[in-house]
Amino acid sequence: KIISSNIKCQWEAVGHQTEAVPTNYTLKLSSTSFFSDKIFTASILGPVNNTTIDLNFFPNHMELEIWVVAQNELGKEESEHLIKPANCFVKTKPPSVAVISEAVFPTCLVMNWTSINKIYLETIYEIRFCPLGSQKWFYVPLADTSSYIQSFRLQNLQPDTVYVTQVRCKYNKKHCGYWSDWSSNVTERTPEDLPKSKPDVWIITSEEGINKRQIEFICKDPEFSNGRIRRFNITIEKQKDSIRNGTWEIIPVNRSLTDGSSSKKQITPLITILLDDEESVTVYVTAINSVGASPQAKLIISPKTRGKCPLEKMEVQSHNGQLFLSWKPPNRTVSDFEYVVEWVSDGERNWQREDGKTTYTAIKGDLEKFVHYRISVYPIYGKLVGKPVHVHAYFEQGVPSQGPSVNLSGDPGCYTAKLEWDEIPLIKRRGFITNYTIYYRSGTETRGITVPSNTTSYTLTSLSRNTKYDIWIKASTIRGSVNGSNHSFTTLKYAPGEIEGIVVGVSLGFLFVVLMTMLLCFCKKDVIKDNFWPQIPNPGDSTIGNWSPDYPLKAEAPRENCLSGISVLNVDVCDAKCVFEEDKASLPLKKDKYLSEEHSSGIGGSSCMSSPRQSVSDSDEGGDMADTTASTIQYSSVVASSGYKGQNPSSLPQQSIFSRSESTQPLLDCEENHDTMVQEGSRQCFLRQPCFTHNAGNENATDSNDFNPLEMEQQEVLDFCSLEEDTEHTAPADCQSDDWIPAPVSSYMPQLGGYRPQ
Amino acid sequence: MNGHVKNMHFQQFMETAATLLSLLLLMTVDSTKTVAASTNQQCGNLLQQTLKITRIVHKESGDLIKTYKAAQGEMSELFCKVSVNDIPDPNISGLDPPARIASIYTHLQAFLPHFKRVYKQQTDLQSPGSPLLKELTRVWDRTESLASFINTFYQSLFPNLPIPEPAGGPTTLPPAQNVFQQKVYGCVVLKTYKDFMSNVSKELRNIKSKVCTKRTPINAF
Repeated sequence: KIISSNIKCQWEAVGHQTEAVPTNYTLKLSSTSFFSDKIFTASILGPVNNTTIDLNFFPNHMELEIWVVAQNELGKEESEHLIKPANCFVKTKPPSVAVISEAVFPTCLVMNWTSINKIYLETIYEIRFCPLGSQKWFYVPLADTSSYIQSFRLQNLQPDTVYVTQVRCKYNKKHCGYWSDWSSNVTERTPEDLPKSKPDVWIITSEEGINKRQIEFICKDPEFSNGRIRRFNITIEKQKDSIRNGTWEIIPVNRSLTDGSSSKKQITPLITILLDDEESVTVYVTAINSVGASPQAKLIISPKTRGKCPLEKMEVQSHNGQLFLSWKPPNRTVSDFEYVVEWVSDGERNWQREDGKTTYTAIKGDLEKFVHYRISVYPIYGKLVGKPVHVHAYFEQGVPSQGPSVNLSGDPGCYTAKLEWDEIPLIKRRGFITNYTIYYRSGTETRGITVPSNTTSYTLTSLSRNTKYDIWIKASTIRGSVNGSNHSFTTLKYAPGEIEGIVVGVSLGFLFVVLMTMLLCFCKKDVIKDNFWPQIPNPGDSTIGNWSPDYPLKAEAPRENCLSGISVLNVDVCDAKCVFEEDKASLPLKKDKYLSEEHSSGIGGSSCMSSPRQSVSDSDEGGDMADTTASTIQYSSVVASSGYKGQNPSSLPQQSIFSRSESTQPLLDCEENHDTMVQEGSRQCFLRQPCFTHNAGNENATDSNDFNPLEMEQQEVLDFCSLEEDTEHTAPADCQSDDWIPAPVSSYMPQLGGYRPQ
Repeated sequence: MNGHVKNMHFQQFMETAATLLSLLLLMTVDSTKTVAASTNQQCGNLLQQTLKITRIVHKESGDLIKTYKAAQGEMSELFCKVSVNDIPDPNISGLDPPARIASIYTHLQAFLPHFKRVYKQQTDLQSPGSPLLKELTRVWDRTESLASFINTFYQSLFPNLPIPEPAGGPTTLPPAQNVFQQKVYGCVVLKTYKDFMSNVSKELRNIKSKVCTKRTPINAF
């Protein structure tokens, strides 16, 4: 390699320049050493400010004088003269570098390079190197390379590490020459060496049944692995066994070749054991690479109940892109005391060891934002793992990626609805939930209720019935909020049981009304019957019988073949009202029967043929008369008495003439009114119509023994001629006529015993 | 003022003068040393530069031979072994340093015409872009610069001694040669020059201790 004979010069124009007056620049070079007075020149027109002079050969070790002459129409000016050895103007090319490693020197790399021949330019060098992937260069001191050397040995490197190296050179004269560019990167890996530190052994504990725990031993490569760890050797010694097991179990490591510059060490699972809570074990682990084994790591797992005092006042704080922890140390410590800081998230676990005097540290691992971590600090008392203290933290909180989905718990009511929701999954929570806000909207009105973060259900009250509501829940963290999914429901129109209550109430009411109506109807049946189904007497069915009080009234038992029993109600005129007011049921109807000579026919026809019977109205009788024709209605008999009551034969003969009739027809109003008039004590008259006939012979028929139905039949049928209505009021007057038989003041009482069907 | 007082003043004056004179003498001696030291340093630097240039020329002459041989084709190894007349002697003559330095200078001057002839012959024998021509030019130019540098060095060391003319007069060139002869001639010239440069390097290393390291008066020679 030789130095180029072209010398490039660059200058800076000073002062105002204008294209109207162009400037011609002439570069001049001379050397009194060898060129005598020869001057080399090179001209160029401005505004270009650089040019090159070709000297045919580079005048090494000779002094050059270089200057620039600027000339234009207005004049000429020279620059300062640079007088320096020619080598001072040389910028060399970077050396060509080669790096080799030597197995016997795992911490060294030998660099070799070629540069310009020393006779042309004696150069010095500068070397720098860095581990692959690192941006921090390490510079070899200039004093170590300030001579014309062609190789250099880098020392105190990390074994099994790839390094990147570069070299540059310069003329070795001070304040003279230009550094060359850095040579292109040359990488080389240092050889492996014995591991210089212990493997980092840790545990994962989980409950396994009663009084048992599962312990998984995991391990990180030693900090100074000095090579690729190919396997771990582990042995477990149970405390109850005084003799150490001595059995080493080999755990191979299936891992691709990784360079030593990786900051994130891989975690290797070793072995999992089941341990009683009261048991204690000691585990020993060594890491093996291609050269040999590392120092032995030891860890003691104490019985669960014998864990020592935990730490206190653990706090977590995110600051300057790191998560810092602080805690209060325990009261009791040992000489070999340290801490293990562990952080666990979904699918990731890592730990770091801290000196026993540390109470404030930062997590050195790569923490992800918006990920929940469970951070624990374990005190290690001389390899014995103590009780930890835990805290939950986020490296950086964010807004949850999804909101809670709300649902109804059961059916909504008319005014209330119970809501429930699940907590947002931890992986999507992205922060600590500070509170939930429940929103419910009906129409255009939206309301919100804020509840604590530990709430997962809530009952809405004061809702409107039969109204559609849209509900959603907003979950909030310190960074913001997110709304969950919407859910709609409609409140009931009627509360549960309300319809049944209404129906029951209405039904009961209706039933009550019906019952009351029925009762009323039953009580007032007569009135109703009279109003709705008035009995119109059929004259054809009525019979009227007259008898005279002269005939003794015999209280004889009625013959069977006599007329049906006709009850006679003797009512004193004075007592008419009283009697009337008496309870008809209690009215003692005498059982003395009067057997009429007549026997009715028609409606009560059957009764004619039947044996004399007692009065239908005889309440004592019961329903004897019910056996007879059902439609027979007996008229009451008009009995005129003066204090005569009952039908008992009386020694006092009566002079009144009674007429009675058997009819199934109810009494007409005129008859009733007529009777009423009799009750008032007015003189009553009974119209004796020609149609009424009475045969004296019939009187004998009252004798039950002599009663002959045929004779009865021969008797004239009683015909009843109804009085005209007009005669109702004038009846008393008419009584004066001959046709009228004055009747004593008597009372005519309808048979109040009620109707009894015969 | 009495005589005693006058004598006192005179004595004081004399003492002061003596002191000043001593100081002046001391400064003169010291400056002489400095001058001598600086002169030695300049001598050493100049000699060092000369030595470096000589080494460059020596190296390039060796590279030139290789290039020359490679450019001459077959049997080029034999060309340099042939004896040729009228080639400058590669040995340095003279008994003392000035003579030997002068011998170096005259030999360098003697080789320059031969370089020119070889360049001219090879121009006819080689292609225009042949590296041999470029190297010949470079060596030729360096030889010129080296001669100039030696002259400067000699003048700085021995300013009052002119460089003597070479004995035997100016260098004579051989007569016209054929191609083979040209090739042989060129190889012999370059080889001889290389040997000469080797001798120059040795000589300069030898005289370094003789002409620059001792406190030698400038006009010693």
